[in-house]
Amino acid sequence: MTPAGRKRAKIMMFLGVIGPGIIAASAGNDSGGISTYSVAGAKYGYTMLWAMLAMTPSFIIVQEMAGRMGAVTGKGFAALIRERFGLRPTFVAMLMLLASNAATTIAEFAGIAAAMELFGVSRYLSVPIAAVVVWLLVVRGSYRNVETVLLALSGVFTAYIVAAVLAHPDWRQVAHAFVVPHVVPDKTFIALAIGLTGTTIAPWMQFLLQSQVVEKGTTIKEWGFAKWDAMVGAASANVVACFIIITTAAVLFPEHITITSAKEAAQALAPVAGPYARLLFAVGLLSASTIAAAVLPLTASYAICEAFGFEAGVDRTWAEAPVFNGLYTAIIFGSAALILLPGISLIAIMLVSQVVNGMLLPFLLIFLIRIINDRRIMGRYVNGRVYNVLSWATIVTVIGLTVALLAMTVLGIG
Amino acid sequence: MIYLTQMMGKPVIDASGDEIGRIHDIAIATGEVFPRVTSLAFVGPDKTPFMISWRKFVEEFDGDKVCLNVDKAGIRFSYLQPDEVLLARDLLDKQIVDTQGMKVVRVNDLKLSESRNQLRLLGAEVGLRGVLRGMSPVLERGAEMAYRLVGRHLPETLIAWNYMDLLDRDLSHVKLSVTHKRLHELHPADAADILEKLSSGQRARVFEHLDNAQAAETLSELEDAYQADVIDDLGNQRASDILEMMDPDDAADIIGDLPYDRAETLLRLMGLRESRQIRKLLGYKEKTAGGIMTPEVTTVPEDWTVQQVIEHIRTVASENESIYYIYVVEADRRLVGVISLRDLIVSPPDTSVEDIVERDVVTANPDDDQEDVAEAMSKYDLLAMPVVDESGRVLGIVTVDDALDVLEEESAEDLALATGSTRKIDEGAWHWLGKKSGWLIVWLVLGLLASLIVRAFSHTIVSLVAVVFFLPLVVRLSEDISSHSLAMLIEAGAPEERPPFVRQLLIDITVGLGLGIVTGLIVLGIMTALSEPIAQAIVLGLSVGLTVLLMATAGAVLPYVALKPGGVGWRAPSALISTGIAALGLAVYLALAAYLNAIVR
Repeated sequence: MTPAGRKRAKIMMFLGVIGPGIIAASAGNDSGGISTYSVAGAKYGYTMLWAMLAMTPSFIIVQEMAGRMGAVTGKGFAALIRERFGLRPTFVAMLMLLASNAATTIAEFAGIAAAMELFGVSRYLSVPIAAVVVWLLVVRGSYRNVETVLLALSGVFTAYIVAAVLAHPDWRQVAHAFVVPHVVPDKTFIALAIGLTGTTIAPWMQFLLQSQVVEKGTTIKEWGFAKWDAMVGAASANVVACFIIITTAAVLFPEHITITSAKEAAQALAPVAGPYARLLFAVGLLSASTIAAAVLPLTASYAICEAFGFEAGVDRTWAEAPVFNGLYTAIIFGSAALILLPGISLIAIMLVSQVVNGMLLPFLLIFLIRIINDRRIMGRYVNGRVYNVLSWATIVTVIGLTVALLAMTVLGIG
Repeated sequence: MIYLTQMMGKPVIDASGDEIGRIHDIAIATGEVFPRVTSLAFVGPDKTPFMISWRKFVEEFDGDKVCLNVDKAGIRFSYLQPDEVLLARDLLDKQIVDTQGMKVVRVNDLKLSESRNQLRLLGAEVGLRGVLRGMSPVLERGAEMAYRLVGRHLPETLIAWNYMDLLDRDLSHVKLSVTHKRLHELHPADAADILEKLSSGQRARVFEHLDNAQAAETLSELEDAYQADVIDDLGNQRASDILEMMDPDDAADIIGDLPYDRAETLLRLMGLRESRQIRKLLGYKEKTAGGIMTPEVTTVPEDWTVQQVIEHIRTVASENESIYYIYVVEADRRLVGVISLRDLIVSPPDTSVEDIVERDVVTANPDDDQEDVAEAMSKYDLLAMPVVDESGRVLGIVTVDDALDVLEEESAEDLALATGSTRKIDEGAWHWLGKKSGWLIVWLVLGLLASLIVRAFSHTIVSLVAVVFFLPLVVRLSEDISSHSLAMLIEAGAPEERPPFVRQLLIDITVGLGLGIVTGLIVLGIMTALSEPIAQAIVLGLSVGLTVLLMATAGAVLPYVALKPGGVGWRAPSALISTGIAALGLAVYLALAAYLNAIVR
């Protein structure tokens, strides 16, 4: 091999380990994410930007930790929880993962329904068809090829960056909002803050990222390269998220437009797409939701089967892997069925699912942080102090917000 | 029956009836089929861990508590012996390999049995039942009751100790039972199957336990994708030792996939002879006879006797990959002929090689396509085929196991072409997902295209409702015709072996004409039987018949266009082509019907 060839081998090694982080993070900008960010901007203007800034380091290190655990142990998150904590805590953790996943899958189908309604297709038609298509994508294992296309399509959300510029926000105000924390003491604000955390650092993302790192066979030696994939992926997903908030804050907030359906949310793209704003928004929402609706149930099924030692794999038959096949089938069709209940507000579903995610996040993070600080498991790759402080700060903050929300609800404040 | 999850945390009572601690773990001696429990680990009130001998101190375990036969003061503490395994620490919640079912499973509980005051391990519970019991015995009883309602039993999935292989704890120093069937006692092909299901870390650990010979055999049985991975995880010396023990052609395959620096290092660490052989093989292109041949050939001169040849095989050639054929060569390795092992054995020892040599030998050149070589071997029923250079000198042989691999690979490629999947055999699930094509979406789009076509002809449908009756028929026929011609092509093999285009076209047009007339007449018959107007019956009979004819022609042309030799077209799956043709058939049929209908009116 020539020196040039050797250089290429090095680049190939980098490309070989890159991907999981970027995929996991950008799949996070799904229907739940888009709606939560849009509502945050439309309802509170730039107020919540500082929270996004504060969350970004947490998100980056959480993704890095999940990937590092996979690289060091060669095992999935669920397997590590089981081996470290035993059966009962694992059961609790899996229940939380299942709840988080199912809630988000419901949100994805809500996203599909909302996007198709922008095209004028009734949800009673689009959702059953989407459920069957998603299920087939999973069963036939073909979603990975479609994934690239759909992820590329959902990349239209980067249009928000352009839209934000074209909407001429008051940049000084934006900068101010980024650095000066401001809290509105009402229930909606707290709930939205929890939702923002839940959608940004969604629990299922760590399971997904870690399992992909394991599947790729990335070793700790290669992790030096690969962690940049996880961290850059996380950071760039958050950049897009911030621009969504800026855009909606600049376009919808001054007009006092409340987002009650995807129609209003789509208007935020008007500065860049004009009359095609709805089309652009619908295409992005549809593709992001479809891919996430396939990935989420699979992630949960793999993790749960891994934890309890059940046979898993899309190439297994129902007789060979009843739990695995049963789980994702139930999640997909159960979620789709829920959307079809009459009189359900799609936007509300998308928001609530992210709040659920946010409330569950700290508990799964506690599992994560205890495993990653266990020297018997991680050897010399345990966390440094900065990582631990940041992680615990996230855990404490989100639990605090949840307690505050519950207290306000019980006491009837706000 | 006693279960470990139920034992944990139960009190330990000494002879005077005082509780001195709670059960934390129990240890077994590993040397038996059903290992005895040898030690009890418990934690005292202030969380101090203790370990005592089960045989010496335990009076009985009655399901609720462990009673000791001595007073607290009389206990002697002990340490974990090298041949002991702690059940909760080393087995519970861990992954093990079920060497009988060839699966990787997780230990949800451990089942023990008590007989004559001895507690023995029966096996590991790996199923749902263990999960439920571990959660709470109430759940297990509830599930059992539910099962009984439908007249069944909640199944127990037990793996006996002698069928387990532990993955996580380094137990290589532990002397396991004599009958213990561990991974390295499995057939290398079976071991390889299990290894492919493990994560890369676990795979590396298992490889550490195999000796070089076993590792070499198992490594050659692994799928290509895993081979380089495993070598990556091994140290240089070990890797080169293992590669050295492999057949040179297999080793060359693996080394060819490694980065240059690593390959050089490994080759340098090898013996001179092996590395020279491998280097030579690396010079040949992949997928040729040279690429899959092994240089280990048993050659003898013509003037030897049978006795000499047999001696030679026993001493010098015994390590060669294949000794079923002995090649007779001149001094410069030019091939003269071949003797089979059978000829050698049935001939008297003093027979000269000259008298039994078969001079008509089927040979291959190093640049021959591997598929051709494999097919020739299958045709002539050969166990090995010599590869010779242009002057007839023997370079190596292609053995039957490599030829079988080639045939399997090629048929998998054909299958992939036919089904539109590009899946490689048996990769990990996530990886596998990545490879699998997303043709579903393409089909969906094509299906929607079909709806648009039908919509475009809505005015025809309004004036001639009967046109709808035969839509499914037309779609079905068009699909079948194109699948059929593609199947013929796959059978025909390489592009250059296909029948000439014009001839195929003529054949298909003739067949299409016949089919068209038959289906046209059937449609006409059906329409008349349904007492539809005769004009419409004729229009539709003609339309269907002509469509079938045109589709047969298209079915003949399209694969030639789509499947350009060596072009990207080889990737277009038959299913996609037939869906496309079906849409085309639909359009042609509707257009014909519309046109003919307009004329009749």
